Amino acid sequence: MQERTAVPFNRESIKGMTFFDPHVHMTSRTTDDYQAMADAGVVGLIEPAFWLGQPRTGVASFRDYYSSLVGWERFRSSQFGIKHYCTIGLNSREANNEALAEQVMEILPLFIYKEGVVGVGEIGFDDQTAAEEKYYRLQLDLAKEASLPVQIHTPHRDKKRGTTRSMDIALEQGLDPYMVIVDHNNEETVKEVLDRGFWAAFTIYPFTKMGNERMVEIVKHYGTERIMINSAADWGISDPLAVPKTAALMKERGIPEEAIRLVTYQNAITAFAQSGQINEADFAAVTQIDQSQKFEGNTVLRGGQQPRVDKDSMIIR
Amino acid sequence: MFHYPVEKVTSVLADIIRQNVSADVWQWMEERTVSFTTAQFNTAFALLPRKTGKAIVRFTDEQDRSLQSARPGFVIRGWTIDRLARVWLLLQLDASEKESYFQTIENLFPAAEMQELVALYSALPVLAYPEMWTKRCAEGIRSNIGDVLQAIMCNNPYPSENLSEAAWNQLVLKAFFTEKPIHQINGLDKRCNAELAGVLSDYAHERWAAGRPVNPQLWRCAGKFINEKNFPDIERIAFSENAVEREAAALACWDSNYSPAKDLLNQNKELKAAIETGELTWQTVAGKATLVHP
Repeated sequence: MQERTAVPFNRESIKGMTFFDPHVHMTSRTTDDYQAMADAGVVGLIEPAFWLGQPRTGVASFRDYYSSLVGWERFRSSQFGIKHYCTIGLNSREANNEALAEQVMEILPLFIYKEGVVGVGEIGFDDQTAAEEKYYRLQLDLAKEASLPVQIHTPHRDKKRGTTRSMDIALEQGLDPYMVIVDHNNEETVKEVLDRGFWAAFTIYPFTKMGNERMVEIVKHYGTERIMINSAADWGISDPLAVPKTAALMKERGIPEEAIRLVTYQNAITAFAQSGQINEADFAAVTQIDQSQKFEGNTVLRGGQQPRVDKDSMIIR
Repeated sequence: MFHYPVEKVTSVLADIIRQNVSADVWQWMEERTVSFTTAQFNTAFALLPRKTGKAIVRFTDEQDRSLQSARPGFVIRGWTIDRLARVWLLLQLDASEKESYFQTIENLFPAAEMQELVALYSALPVLAYPEMWTKRCAEGIRSNIGDVLQAIMCNNPYPSENLSEAAWNQLVLKAFFTEKPIHQINGLDKRCNAELAGVLSDYAHERWAAGRPVNPQLWRCAGKFINEKNFPDIERIAFSENAVEREAAALACWDSNYSPAKDLLNQNKELKAAIETGELTWQTVAGKATLVHP
C-alpha cells in the first residue's frame, strides 16, 4: 500500500466559495453528509439514477426509486439548504434484464419531463453487451426528443474503448456533443472527449477513480473548458466533500480562483442548464421559500431546516 | 359529479391563468385540452412548469370573491402559477366516466414529484366525486414532505368537509407535530371533537414530560371539551409565566360550559374583557404564538 500523508482539509481557503456537485447519490448518504456538504459550500447537486447495489426485480421498484429522486430525496436535501436536481435513466447493468428493461422504458417518459430533471442519466456501458447498447441507444433517442442533456457513465473495465464507443453511438443517434456529459474520465480518455466536443466530467473517488492531486494536473494541462468534477459519492467508500476538497487543493496548488469556480461550479451548471431546469436563483430560494411558506412566524424552528445536533455533546436531547 | 358550480371556477381560473402567462403558453395549454390520450395528459401535467414558469399568481379581489362564492374555502393565495395551471388542467378531464376519471388522476400520485403532489392535493376540493378521494387524502397526511402536508392541511377545505373523524384527528395532530400554521386549517373549530381534545392533551403531557415546548393553539381544540380530566391542563396554562399561554387558557375557558372553567375565566377580568371586545381571539394568539417552553 502506498504511504499516505495526512494533509488537513483547509476549509478557510475556500470560505465563501460555492460548489455544485453534478454527480452524487444522496439516497445512499446520511444527514451528516448533507450537513457537511452545506457547511463546505455545496449549494446544489445532481443525483443521477443508478443501480442500488443489487438488481431490482420489478418495474415498481424503479418507479418508486425515480419517484423518490424527485420527491423525498429532493425534500431531504432542501432541509439542508441544498438544491437537488436529478437525471433519470435505466443504468447499464440493469439494461441486461431485457424483460424488465422494456417495462422501465415505458415509465421513463413519465419522469423525464418532470421539474428539476436535468438530463437522462446515468446511462451507457458496463459490460458492453448488446442489450446495454440497445437501451443506451433508445435512451439517447428519448433525450433528444425531450431536448435533455445526457449523462454518460463510462465503464470501469475496458474504459478507453467503452468511452470511445459511447461517444460514437451518441453521434450516430444524432446528439449534439455539447448536450452530452461523459463521466468518470481519466488521463487516458480526456483528450478524445474534449477533442470531439463533449463535456468531460471527472469523478474524484478514492482508490478506484480519480484522485484530486491527479485532477489538479489535468486542469493545469487541459485548462477549464468543458471540464467539471464530481464526487459520485454513493454507498461505496467515497467522499461527498470531494468537490470542495479538490477546490481547496487546487487553490493551494496555485490554480486561479476563476478556474476553480468553472470546474467546481459553473461548467456543470452551464452543461445541465441546457435542460431549462436549473435556475441559479433557486439555490438561494431553497431556504427562503421554506421560511416564507411553511412556518409564518408560528414556530421557533425557522427555515424548514433541520435543527442542528451538536455532535460533540454527550447529552442528546 | 361536482358538488359546486365547476364551470364558474374553471372560467375564473382560466381568466387568472391568462393574465399570468404569455399568449403562446395559454394557447399551448388550451390545445392540450381539445382531445388527448392519457399519456399526453400525463406529459402535459408533468411539463407545465416549463411553460408557465413558477411565479406567484396575481389576481384581483373580484376574482377571489368569485372563487369564494363558487367554491367556499378554495383559497389560491400564495400559489405559484404552475400549481394553479395544474389544478386547472385536472378540471379539463371528463368526469362523466367515474372509474376512468378516478384512475387517470389516481395514477398521477405514485409518480408525482413534490410540486406535482402539492398541486394534486390542492385540487382535492375542486375534483368531482369528493367522497372518492378520502383514502387518497388520508394517505397524503402520512407524507413527511412539508410542502405536501401544508397543501393538504392549510387553506384546503377538502379535509374538514370529507375526512372521517379518525383521519381528521390524524391531520390535526400531525399539523401540530410538524409545526404547521394551525390557524390556516380549514374547519378546525367546527370539527373539534372529544377524541381529538383527549389526544392533544396526551400529546401536551408527553411534551411537558420531555421538557419540550407546546404550541398554545393546541388548546383551541380543547375548549368545548373541557372536563374534570383535562381541566388541570387548562389550570396549568392559566397560571403560566407565558402571556400567550394565559391567553390560550382564557380562550379555551370562554368556549367551555364546564363551570370550573367559567370560574377560572372570571378570575381574570382583564383577559375576559379582551375576549368580549374581540381584542383577544385565537387569530391574535396565532399571530404571536411561538412554542412555549415549560
